[in-house]
Amino acid sequence: MKLSIFRFNPEQDEKPYMQDYEIELETTDQMLLDVIVRLKVQDDTLTFRRSCREGVCGSDAMNINGRNGLACITPVRALKEPIKLRPLPSFPVIRDLVVDMTQFFKQYHSINPYLINNEPAPERERLQSPEDREKLNGLYECILCGCCTSQCPSSWWNPDKFVGPAGLLQAYRFIIDSRDQATQERLDDLNDPYRLFRCRTIMNCTEVCPKGLAPSRAIEKIRLMMIKESL
Amino acid sequence: MRRTVTGLRAWLLQRISAIYMLLFIIFFLTHFLVESPDSYQAWHGWMMSSGVSIATLIFFAALMLHVWVGVRDVLMDYIHPLALRIFALTLLGIGLVAITAWVMRILLMEHS
Repeated sequence: MKLSIFRFNPEQDEKPYMQDYEIELETTDQMLLDVIVRLKVQDDTLTFRRSCREGVCGSDAMNINGRNGLACITPVRALKEPIKLRPLPSFPVIRDLVVDMTQFFKQYHSINPYLINNEPAPERERLQSPEDREKLNGLYECILCGCCTSQCPSSWWNPDKFVGPAGLLQAYRFIIDSRDQATQERLDDLNDPYRLFRCRTIMNCTEVCPKGLAPSRAIEKIRLMMIKESL
Repeated sequence: MRRTVTGLRAWLLQRISAIYMLLFIIFFLTHFLVESPDSYQAWHGWMMSSGVSIATLIFFAALMLHVWVGVRDVLMDYIHPLALRIFALTLLGIGLVAITAWVMRILLMEHS
């Protein structure tokens, strides 16, 4: 199996380059991550993030043959050779496939990703009807891998001002939560030229989400809620 | 309520103007398919009837607002230095105002 991997070590290299690798597939190699973990045995300078190896932690997000995804849940045999691996587009590269996600998490924190409820907490827990709980499905599953935001042209042009699909999906997760009391503040916070309305409904986010979530649908629902609020 | 046309307002304005333009284009094309005017006079008379000329004026107003919001969005994405962006937006604004004036001149002067 042939791979071509983006290499860049800022301490040694002036410019990034693509390095070719060749490795025999073994029967235990199911996912792309299995192969690159074995590649690291061949070449221990190759650097990437991984942790849970089952699509839950979101560490091994990378650009695989031009499309963002998680190496650990991408079946390796279905990929076209040579498999081109690059770091997440538009994120600053730290080394090889490892990117700096500071900006991404800054945008995530900017939407206050926690329940805001000023009533005294009940003895056990804040209850929610099964119907209200149902509304969080398709939102809470986000693992913040960054695949969507890194593939979003609006985030490429304004990463500092546009919240980006991952952050907006989480914004909607709290807007729609029946236990949250800051709905209006959250909507007002997003109603400016940049934070939400840079979205041009390109829908790359929904196209690449490795968890099958739909940030573009969440953005649409936030817009509809804003319209209802302003009437 | 904020007064500037940004965020939700700009987005809504663009959708509403798009719907109006779509309806107008359908109306316009249907007219020419169903009762196609057989002479310049007939066409001119139809165009200058007050209903059609007002609808045409609204169409161009919607078009200008639509272009303003859309092109401004593109300029905001690609032109980051403030001075350059203000220059580009001014050019766009002057262009749109000039086109609007020209359309109004045609529609209103012909009328009188």
